[in-house]
Amino acid sequence: MKSTSKSSKTVLDPRTKMLLAVTIASVLIGGGSGGIMNIIRPALVLVPLLLFCISGKWKSAAIYAAAYLCAFAGELFLVPVTTGFMNFMIVACCGMFARFMPGIAMGSYLVNTTTVSEFMAAMERMHLPQKLSIPLSVMFRFFPTVGEEYGAIGDAMRMRGIRFGGGKPGKMLEYRMVPLMVSCVKIGEELSASALTRGLGAPIHRTNICKIGIRPYDLAAMLLCVVSIIFLLIDKFSVI
Amino acid sequence: MINLKDIQFFYTGASEASGLKQINLHIKRGETVLLCGESGCGKTTLTRLINGLIPHFYEGTLTGEVMICGKRISDTPLYDLAKTVGSVFQNPRSQFFNVDTTSELAFGCENLGMNEEEVLSRIDRTAEALSLNPLLGRSIFELSGGEKQKIACGSVGTLGPDIIVLDEPTSNLDILGINDLKSIISKWKIQGKTILIAEHRLYFMQGLADRVLYMKNGEIREEYTGVQFYEKPSSFFRERGLRISALAKLGKKKVCPVPEQKVLTVENLEFSYSKAKKLIDIPRVELPEAGIIAIIGHNGAGKTTFVRSLCGLLKKDKSILKYNESTLKARKRLDSCYMVMQDVNHQLFTESVLDEVLLSMKKEDRENAEKILDSLELLAFKDHHPMALSGGQKQRVAVAQALASGRDIIVFDEPTSGLDLRHMEKVAECIRQLRQQGKTVFIVTHDPELILSCCTHILHIKKGRAEGSYLLNEAGKKRMMDFFCL
Repeated sequence: MKSTSKSSKTVLDPRTKMLLAVTIASVLIGGGSGGIMNIIRPALVLVPLLLFCISGKWKSAAIYAAAYLCAFAGELFLVPVTTGFMNFMIVACCGMFARFMPGIAMGSYLVNTTTVSEFMAAMERMHLPQKLSIPLSVMFRFFPTVGEEYGAIGDAMRMRGIRFGGGKPGKMLEYRMVPLMVSCVKIGEELSASALTRGLGAPIHRTNICKIGIRPYDLAAMLLCVVSIIFLLIDKFSVI
Repeated sequence: MINLKDIQFFYTGASEASGLKQINLHIKRGETVLLCGESGCGKTTLTRLINGLIPHFYEGTLTGEVMICGKRISDTPLYDLAKTVGSVFQNPRSQFFNVDTTSELAFGCENLGMNEEEVLSRIDRTAEALSLNPLLGRSIFELSGGEKQKIACGSVGTLGPDIIVLDEPTSNLDILGINDLKSIISKWKIQGKTILIAEHRLYFMQGLADRVLYMKNGEIREEYTGVQFYEKPSSFFRERGLRISALAKLGKKKVCPVPEQKVLTVENLEFSYSKAKKLIDIPRVELPEAGIIAIIGHNGAGKTTFVRSLCGLLKKDKSILKYNESTLKARKRLDSCYMVMQDVNHQLFTESVLDEVLLSMKKEDRENAEKILDSLELLAFKDHHPMALSGGQKQRVAVAQALASGRDIIVFDEPTSGLDLRHMEKVAECIRQLRQQGKTVFIVTHDPELILSCCTHILHIKKGRAEGSYLLNEAGKKRMMDFFCL
């Protein structure tokens, strides 16, 4: 979650980022291969990498590139030379990974480079009703908090000697989730109370001091999205 | 300004004891009113009546009438009240809607649809008035508790409400944070705001509170002017279960120094996130084994890093702990130290109190587990769900976990934040018992009253270094009080 409002290196409008995330996820997961898709897929895969680089997140960029290359190489070289169960496992792992990874990377870019305030402004501009925009922004606000709580609970588990290989893998999840849920509910309640006393949910047009807007880069990115989606649809419905 | 008539309130699904009975209260414009009383006396509930969270957010049965500036609260939606009543809450972590400070200051104004110039000029004015300029444009995750609470005050201030309600705002603050909050409250008082504050810490409101209300069992039992209240003798506060009214009074409290024989040493403790700045740098410090060691210092000094290292929770930690003729590296310490966390909910995993204790044992031993629970007055609750217990009971369940797992070193992280006198003394008693069982106890705390109730030794951490490590005798007490009184 981006949390400072200093002039940032992000170039895209939150709406563009959301559209990109949706497009990348749906085209890569839902789309086939062959034909024009051989151009669109790599283009979309490169988008998160490019964005990470532009905003100076070199570490994320490197991790993403390495992980994707591994999955891709696995699919390319290991699949033809293995058989049976191994083959199945490699196809499943690498295939899934190569398809899901770019969408996840784009999602993390979205969350990491957008402030809550920008996110709310973007939804306001899209004329989403408050019934939808408020819960969504609360959810958006919640990611880093859940992360913090998760870390604290992890400490508690390590201290009690509940570690991987400690015998009860099924219980691990329960021990992690129960306190996490309890504290998230509590924080959520306090957060709502504090926001409501400051007028959230007033039935008037909400203003916003952060500046968002569609610029040339956004148009280019949106064009890429639209083209990809059109080809995805053609790919799905025309060739039956 | 504020008028409460024949109020009676009970939360839905809660026992009648937790509600309010027979509240009649009139607060004049510009008055500063302090609400005090033991935990569960109804202070927080009363503040919620005034900021409208009751009946609009928390459900329950309400009779009587609350009028604020001529408006009936039950007929006024929360967003209309936002301009009149501002609220600052207890937990600085959970009252920010945004994660950057400037947006947070703008938040209330944006919700009410003010235009951009108006919002920006209000932020400027508020930041100027409350000296928030150095905090603008920052991430809230980088701020200390005190700084967060200042931003919380600021985001209330931008809306310019006439009434400000604060619900235990100092619970999570250190001495610097409390001083900052005090100066904000006095600025508001000068601006003529009407202020209602519910608090356990009373000393910092001396000279600010015009009127003090003492509550018990959901009723306003006693009423004093600020001057009368702060002139009362210590026994007055003790009888009512209230915290000390002036830090200076703590000076009279006796300390009984204990001879320190065996020592425990921490060596080679060094930790940083980046190369530039070391979070903590303690080459060697000697502490008494089987003592109760208070770790004091300002927020961000490295207290938490110190105890996390002690418990083996820090990554890439090269430090060494020597005690009882054994030398422990970080990883080993996971099995010999135990921390009772500030938010104890993080360490309760199971469905019953007894299960919590059994889970911590290397070999499940029901009899011993029950013995441990008995020693902590928890046996009657052994089949209860840990999450259904009160805060103090949860804390003792965590202590029971530590005892069951046979740890020698037990760390408490801020065990008394937001506790009244009676609960604080219970914690102190529990800690003293641990020492009698031969445990070494570390307490990270901002609470001098707790320190004088049970500690034997002080470790003062300043900017990542061990500034002082001294026995809590008369001289030590003076040195400690100098830190807390600044």
